[in-house]
This record gives sequence, C-alpha cells and structure tokens, in this order.
Amino acid sequence: MSNGKQVVELREALRQAIDEEMERNPNVFVMGEEVGEYNGAYKVTKGLLDKWGPKRIVDTPISELGFAGLCIGAAMTGLRPIVEFMSFNFSFVAADQLISNAIKMHYMSGNRFSVPIVFRGPNGAAAQVSSQHSHCVEAIYGNLPGWIILAPSNSYDAKGLLKSAIRENNPVLFLESELSYGDKMEIPMGEYLVPIGKARIVQEGQDITIISHSRMVNVCKEVVKELAKSGIKAELIDLRTIKPLDIATIAASVKKTNHAVLVEEGHIFAGIAAEVAFQIMESCFDYLDAPIERVGQRETPMPYSRVLEQETLPNVNRILKAVYKSLHQV
Amino acid sequence: MSVSTSPHMFKVDRQAVIKQLGPDNLKECLRRMLLIRNFELRAEAAYQQGKIGGFFHAYIGQEAIQTAAVQALGPNNWYATSYRTHALALLLGATPEELMAELFGKATGNAKGRGGSMHFFTERLLGGFGIVTGQVPIATGAAFTIKYKGIKDEVSICFLGDGAVPQGAFHESLNLAALWDLPCIYVIENNKWGMGTAVERAVSVPYLAEDKAPGYNMKGYTFDGMDFFTCYGGFDHLFHEVLETERPVLVEVITERFKGHSISDPGLYRSKDTLKQVMQRDPIIIMQNALIEAGIITVEEIKALDKSLRESVLAAIDFADKSPWPDPQNLEEDVFAP
Repeated sequence: MSNGKQVVELREALRQAIDEEMERNPNVFVMGEEVGEYNGAYKVTKGLLDKWGPKRIVDTPISELGFAGLCIGAAMTGLRPIVEFMSFNFSFVAADQLISNAIKMHYMSGNRFSVPIVFRGPNGAAAQVSSQHSHCVEAIYGNLPGWIILAPSNSYDAKGLLKSAIRENNPVLFLESELSYGDKMEIPMGEYLVPIGKARIVQEGQDITIISHSRMVNVCKEVVKELAKSGIKAELIDLRTIKPLDIATIAASVKKTNHAVLVEEGHIFAGIAAEVAFQIMESCFDYLDAPIERVGQRETPMPYSRVLEQETLPNVNRILKAVYKSLHQV
Repeated sequence: MSVSTSPHMFKVDRQAVIKQLGPDNLKECLRRMLLIRNFELRAEAAYQQGKIGGFFHAYIGQEAIQTAAVQALGPNNWYATSYRTHALALLLGATPEELMAELFGKATGNAKGRGGSMHFFTERLLGGFGIVTGQVPIATGAAFTIKYKGIKDEVSICFLGDGAVPQGAFHESLNLAALWDLPCIYVIENNKWGMGTAVERAVSVPYLAEDKAPGYNMKGYTFDGMDFFTCYGGFDHLFHEVLETERPVLVEVITERFKGHSISDPGLYRSKDTLKQVMQRDPIIIMQNALIEAGIITVEEIKALDKSLRESVLAAIDFADKSPWPDPQNLEEDVFAP
C-alpha cells in the first residue's frame, strides 16, 4: 500500500464498494444467504455484519424467490437493495420475480415505480461443481429488455462498476466469477467509479480483435501473449458492461483490425457472442476480412470430471484456433 | 389431522360499524362499490364492442372486501393485488377516466397504455400483478421498507386469490414476514375458483387462513366477504392489531365472483343454479338494504346515485374513446428509469 494505492483481492474490492455505498446512502442494504453471520459464502461481505448490524446485512433462509421478490418490493418503496445470490444458478428459482417484476415495473407502471436494485453473485463455472452449479446467465437474462448487465474481470472494474450499479436506478445483474474472487490487483485507495456502458481495451493491437468478458478475459490475455510470440498483435476488449453493449468501442477496433474473435464462457446458441457478432455485422460489414469466429462453452451440460470440464469450456487452444482460422492461418 | 373443522367467522356488530362510520362514510362506501360495479359492467360492454383487448378479470361480487379494507386502513399504506385490479385502483384514487383509458390502450391511461387491465397503479398501489402470487413477495418487501424506515403508522396489505395459496411465493413470503416481524396483512380473497379449478381441488386444507397461519406462527382469520360491515370491522381490527404487534397476519375472506375467471371464461364448470344461488348474496344489495334499514339512504337516492355513477362511467368511456393513442414514436421510451 503506497501512493494512495492498495493491492486487493477481487472479493475485497467488492466489499469496499458495498461498504462505501452503505456509508453514502442509508437506504442501501444487503440481503442474501449467508451474507451476515457466515461472512458470505465467498467472503465478499466479510465483516459487514459487524460494522452495519443485522438491519442492513440481512441473512435469509433458502428462499430466493421470496427474498428476491421482497427486495424488488423494497426497491419500489424507497430502498436500494443489494441482493446476493450465493450463485446465479439459484436466481432461476427467483426468475419470475426478476423477469416479471423487476425489469417490467418502470415501463409497465407508466413510470410510476422504479426498481433500483443490484443482484450480484458468482456466475459461470467454478472448479468441478458440475451440471447444476455452472450456468452463465447473461445470455438468458440478456434477451430481455430492462436489465443492465455488468461482468467485470478484475478488482479495479469490480469495485468501480459495483459502486455505479448501486447508484443506478434500474435493475442490475452484477456477474462475478467464483474463480476470480482471489485475483489480486492494485487499485486506488480513494473513491472512484467505473461508468456503466463502457468497454475497456485491455491490450491494443492491429491484427485481430478479441472480445470477451468476465473471467474469460484472463484466458484471452494468455492468448494475446501466445499470439505475440508469432508476431500477431491482437487487440483485446473487455466488455465490462454486457448490456447496454458498447458497440462503438467494438466497432472502432474491428474497423482497424478487420478480424474478430468472440469469446464467452457460456453457450454459443443465442449467446452474447451471437449478439455482439450481429452488431459487428451491422456496423462493420464492409470492414470484415473474414467471418467472425466465436468460442464458447460446448453444447453440453457442465460435466464433473476435470478432463471433461476443461474440454467443454473455452480454453487457450480453442481460442488460438479460432484466431488462426480468422487470419486464414489454419 | 389438526386442520380446523369449521372456520371461526369473524363476528362484527353491524350497528356498531354503522355508528362508528356514520352516514357520510357509509354512503361514500356504497358509492364506491357502485362505482366499481358500474365501471366493470360498462368496461365489459366496451370489451364486447372490441374497444378493450387482452385479459380482463372482473371483481364483480367481491366489491365489499377492498372497499372495506381501504376504508378501514386509509390510503396511506402500501397496497398490492393480483390481476383483478380495477377495484383497488378506483378505491385508491385513480379516476374512472384514466383507468378506462388504460383499458382502451390510450396515451391518457393510468399506465400510459402500457399496462392494461391487469396492471393498474397509484401512488400507493404497487400494482396489479399478472402472475399468480407475483405480488406477494412485493407486498412483503413494502412491509420490509416500512419496518426498515421505522414507520409506525403504516402497513402493507396484499390481496391474493385462493389460487395463489398453493404457489411457492406464498409460502416463502409468509415465512419471511413472520420470521422478520413485517407489518403485512395478507388477504386471501377466496372466491372458490382458481380459474376453473375449485379450491378444494387445489389446496389440501379447508380453511385457507386458519389452517395455514399456524404453520407460519401467524394469526389466521376468516371474514364473510359478502358483508361490508364484517369486512370493515375485520380489517379495522387487523389494522390496529398489526400496528400494535408489528406482526403479519393472514386472513381468508370468503367471497364469490359473479363472473368468469376472465371475460373469455363462460364458467361452464359452475351450474347456472349454483351461480344464481351465489348471486343472491350480492354485497351491494346487502349494503344497500342495511343502509336503507338504518335510514341512511332511500331507494330513490340509491337509484339516483347509481344513475349518476353510470353517467360518470359513460363519460369515462367517452374520454377513453376520444383520447389519443400512444405515439408509436415513444414506444421504446421509459424501459429504464432516469
């Protein structure tokens, strides 16, 4: 810790964001399973119960439908809930409240009620947690208007984006990754925000654009390093915000590189990559020198075995293959 | 079996209610019930003329319940209900004009033509919810806000049908409300039918509040929903009990819907004789007779009142008819709050 900087794990960055926003606004509270006395299933809310007490750090029974809906009702009546899903897989139990109420309310009520709420928690695969605990939900929910969907890949963005999310007056899905909670990074000591709706160019390059989000950005960084060894300069874009999509940043890059590979941890069919690719087609059709390539989870439920899990998830080799194919170097 | 063998119908002294409310309030309550009835009958006719589309669920037969509840609690509480929402919106101050315009899908509608019959709102009405039981966690959340903010003179009141009782959201909400001492009144309006499925074929216990409430460490009540005075006395009691105990309660209000589940339901599962018998206990007739008997209103006055309400509803239809359509150019506005 020096020069106003601190090195923090991603979970600590999230904790700071929550803590700072709770300090800033007394209507902000946290609700979820094991967020209080257990200090969070992944320790994101560690110490917050001691600091803020049970009124604002609310442990729930296993009732996702009930407490997600309760928090939507609380948001409609003046509070600003942060709902922790221990895993976004459990959000499916609450899907009716998320889909029928949270994202419909402002429009459906003729602007009478808004729903300032953040649903956050780990999304996607962890380590061998098998078929029912490994879903990526961004494409499933992203199909529906009304969501802001954020998926940071590092501590800096996680803190700044979560603070923006908590100040947002609309429902936010804030997607984390269990495998990234321990990732360390130097971030400022002081307060900062990361704006919603802005992608980040992680690495500049002119030969090909690789676009990803969340944990897969780190896998893509490995790919960029590999490509550099053979003289290929890839530009890597971290979406950070999935919805609304920052197509301007993406298009500017693709117009420069004329090649694009899209990488997401979730499934291909009607996935985030499908949407990004279509929007690239809409704005960069004449600039593309090759069909857009995409790499996602293969068309299987998540298998338990480590060998099979690695096989179904996107990995460096599969992404490299896609890059070479795009560059006609197969 | 530990289920109740008979409901303990909440007893109310009608004369005491008449004395408590006084002639002006009682006449106003009758006026509201007649307004709801006239509004829905005229809206049904407009539906048949093709002026209104989509789903349309009438409250006809159940008017005493929400009229009494709003009278007992006052408007400054959080309210939520199912898709059978016309009455509660009128009771909470939405005008017949804005509601009719909403049914017509017009720009001047209660929800700018975006909600329709199932989604009416007021400053304190959180909605009209289209998915069975969807409003129950929401109302529980409003009660959470009341407690969080330390407000001592408000409750949240949630209306739901008997069809919502078997849903998971009902169970989870009541458990949370009881666990956390949330000031919420859950009102099961048991009109005996979840669409075309009789309540006996849907719920495993006979008395929806009295049998269910103990499982949530809550008190359970049963009201006669056809009698305004019982409902008023009951809700008045519950309101003060919840304010005092800061605990949720569950009440079953036994009622009848005189129409189908929705406008497209011919009600073939219910015999004409049964329906005829059911309609003998019309809550509006019961109320009228009581007020006539008490010398508060005359038959002629009721006729004049009914006529003036019919005219005001016809004026609302005229307003809706003449109102502009929403501008398609604004279609994509307001998905997000500013």
